[in-house]
Amino acid sequence: MTRLRSTRAALGVVCALGLAVLYLPLLLSVLYSFNQGIDGRQTARLTGWSLRAYADAWQDDSLRSAALTGLQVALVVAAVSGLLGSAWGYAMVRHASARVRRALAGLGYLLVIMPEVVLAVSLLQFAGRLGVPLGFLTLAAAHTPMTMVVVALIVRARVLTLDRRLEDAGRDLGASELRILGDIVVPALLPAVLTGTVLAFTFSFDDVVISAFLTTPSVSTLPVYLYSSLNYGTAPAVYAATTAVLALTIVVLGIAGLLHRATTVT
Amino acid sequence: MPHLLAAAPGLWLTAVFVAPLLLTVALSFAHPGFGDVTFGFTLDNYRTALGGLYAQTFVQTVVLAVGCGALSVLLAMPIAYFIARHAGRFAGALLAAILLPYFSSFLIRVLSWQVILASGGPVDSVLHALGLLHAPLDLIGTRAAVVIGIVYGYLPIAVLPQYVVFSRIPRSTTDAAADLGAGAWRRFTSVVLPLARPGVATAALLTAVPMLGELVVPQLLGGGRGLLLGQLLQTQYVQSQNYALGSAIAVLILVAVGVLVALLLRLTRGFDEAPR
Amino acid sequence: MTLHDLRLSRRNLLGAAGALSATAFLAACGGAGGGSAAAASQLDIYSWADYFAQDNLTAFTTASGITPKITTYDSNDTLSAKLNSAAGTGFDLVVPTSGWITEYASRDLVQKIDHSRLNLSTLDPSLLDRAYDPHNQYSVPKDWGLQGVIYDPRAVGGDITTWQNFLDAGERPGVQGKIRLSGSGWENVGVALWADGKDWNTTDQSVIRAGGDRMKDWVTRTKPQFTSSNVDPIVNGSIVLAIHDQAGARRAIEQNPALRWSVPGPTSQLWVDSYAIPKDAPHLDAVYSFLNYELTEKAQITDTRFLGYPTALAGLRGKLPPGIDNVDLIFGGAGVDLSKLTTFVVNPDTIPVYQEIQTELHALS
Repeated sequence: MTRLRSTRAALGVVCALGLAVLYLPLLLSVLYSFNQGIDGRQTARLTGWSLRAYADAWQDDSLRSAALTGLQVALVVAAVSGLLGSAWGYAMVRHASARVRRALAGLGYLLVIMPEVVLAVSLLQFAGRLGVPLGFLTLAAAHTPMTMVVVALIVRARVLTLDRRLEDAGRDLGASELRILGDIVVPALLPAVLTGTVLAFTFSFDDVVISAFLTTPSVSTLPVYLYSSLNYGTAPAVYAATTAVLALTIVVLGIAGLLHRATTVT
Repeated sequence: MPHLLAAAPGLWLTAVFVAPLLLTVALSFAHPGFGDVTFGFTLDNYRTALGGLYAQTFVQTVVLAVGCGALSVLLAMPIAYFIARHAGRFAGALLAAILLPYFSSFLIRVLSWQVILASGGPVDSVLHALGLLHAPLDLIGTRAAVVIGIVYGYLPIAVLPQYVVFSRIPRSTTDAAADLGAGAWRRFTSVVLPLARPGVATAALLTAVPMLGELVVPQLLGGGRGLLLGQLLQTQYVQSQNYALGSAIAVLILVAVGVLVALLLRLTRGFDEAPR
Repeated sequence: MTLHDLRLSRRNLLGAAGALSATAFLAACGGAGGGSAAAASQLDIYSWADYFAQDNLTAFTTASGITPKITTYDSNDTLSAKLNSAAGTGFDLVVPTSGWITEYASRDLVQKIDHSRLNLSTLDPSLLDRAYDPHNQYSVPKDWGLQGVIYDPRAVGGDITTWQNFLDAGERPGVQGKIRLSGSGWENVGVALWADGKDWNTTDQSVIRAGGDRMKDWVTRTKPQFTSSNVDPIVNGSIVLAIHDQAGARRAIEQNPALRWSVPGPTSQLWVDSYAIPKDAPHLDAVYSFLNYELTEKAQITDTRFLGYPTALAGLRGKLPPGIDNVDLIFGGAGVDLSKLTTFVVNPDTIPVYQEIQTELHALS
């Protein structure tokens, strides 16, 4: 029993260290959002405290609309890839036809090994040759292959560990396919689906490469803005905008967590 | 219903992925121009793409990605295992904590690593204070910085799929092994790991392969030293605007990586349904 | 018709149907998001990041009721790729660097400036009517910069006054590995070409390749970095020799006065970032109204102070308010002779050669 406890303690320490490494850069970026910088540019040296970056970020229409557009795109992407990606991940394992299963899995592998820049340029060329006007929905659509495959693979890993006999038992008892899906499969897959959907959101919200190619005069995102400012010194306002988005996320997730607890307790 | 589940994602992907991909294949056989292509059939692009510089870059990038991917999966494994098996009611909160940094910009966090790893930065100062180091440590512009940045970036993605499978392994299974006298390590290697294989394989795939195209970290932390595939492709598409050559390189990468992944899967049977 | 033909035509039909439905679908996507009729008070600018003083933008909005919407690019290459693609339509104003104007004009990507709607007489004549755009048919200068060197004189052992000095300094033991080159092929090959008295606008590819070979040898020995990003590593001494523009130099020297900046001879680059109007710009009235505002003396001075690059206003140096730190450096330092500098002109025949060399430089470093 003491060995079990020491194993657990060791694992806990690794986990804590991992979290520390994940959070160190994040905390630094928050810290630097209060840094004055020099000549309107961020500097590694802390040159003095100021809230000016937040005011600047708020005033900057382009920055604000980029952040807002990015959030909207990411929400659409998360919803679409949550639905289609889960269906895909499930069908990859459970579809009756081996050929369909193989085709779906093959599509997934192909997407995983697809460099983002290739995906972006192919879509851009494709849209250009078809004369499709680009905008909000084309940007969102362009994110979906990458994010769907993330959801699909995570859901797939879960379906593989799911006991098939449960579904068969339901079928034997005369339940419709829809009921089996709703009562047995979906509840079991839900954690995986949610994790995948959250990942899809962050992928989309943070994507640089695909977005850089598909943004238009009216639709641009925060990472594209940030990427373009890297070479010539970043404005502290970008740090402020990023920190604000993060704070907003924490608040939203916190409320969601509390609601979840409230509904499960009652 | 089962047909709908397969058809909906299938059709969507055909429109936004397969059709554009076919266009890329067509472009790879076209005649290049600066910012333009003339459709036709030539193998010149492939001839260029298989030249020495490109092949060498490909090998270097694969080595880096496989190394970083393995490192990410290994580092993520104890974290995922702890959350899944020992964290109890804090599991949800811990998972959220792992994901939370992802709601801040990756670019900004990589910029923070520039500060952390720079000479005079925290890593440098701590190592000096501990007396472990006497010369200034400057990691920026080195391969080590690139590895640190990449592993950092992909760690949470490596945690998630492993968490999902670890949390599914019934406690009774490991308890039974314990009753039979298996120690913790033995239980892990011969009971847990085989059951968790699909998740571990997914984690490896989701980290190592995107690393092949990584663009930002080598640029920001590696000082642009050395050439990696992501940059090579980006150069063809953006700087040289040679879509034909870019497409040929892309097709070759897809084929080569496809073969590598297929071999890996064949060898490990990593994606097969877990044995019961 | 044989069975074989039948199958083929059926497949074609299916393919066509697939393409059609995909088109219809994607068209629906774009239409809902971006294709809507534009409001009259709109102005879509595609520019470098943080390239307009917020004070100017706010004042312009107050005066005109137009809120400029700015999306940003990281390099001329990105701008060029964008303008050349489906995602490039709908921009009203772009800010390419001088050398690209010729190429855009010849490809019909930008339209002629209507000089009856603009007054360029307040601008510095030395920035007008230059080789890349005679009579400013397609462009209006916004601001300009120089390719120079930031260095730590203690590390490189003295002053750098020529590009040969730069190349020699890079070989010193304490300098190797602490060097930063440019992210652009012609700016790097230019160093070797200028050191040898050659012209980087040459159409002779063998001259460019010879310069490239010299740089490749040098890079193999000196192991430079390439990202032109922030000046922090220069300030803290991780980089002691760097190709940079004067605005970066000014920021670096403000933080570390031991550093020096020079524009090495015999010649170096002068670039002029310029306003240009894309071919089908939807909001022309707003564009001219914005340009007229930006060309006012007040706006030019505000932008200069914000950017750290001089705008194109004639006699700008004397019109700046007193009390600006290192004001000489905004103009590239005292004693810089603009007439001795050269401006790169993009040539579709030589660009791939420069790009190829740059790729090899990365691989060798």
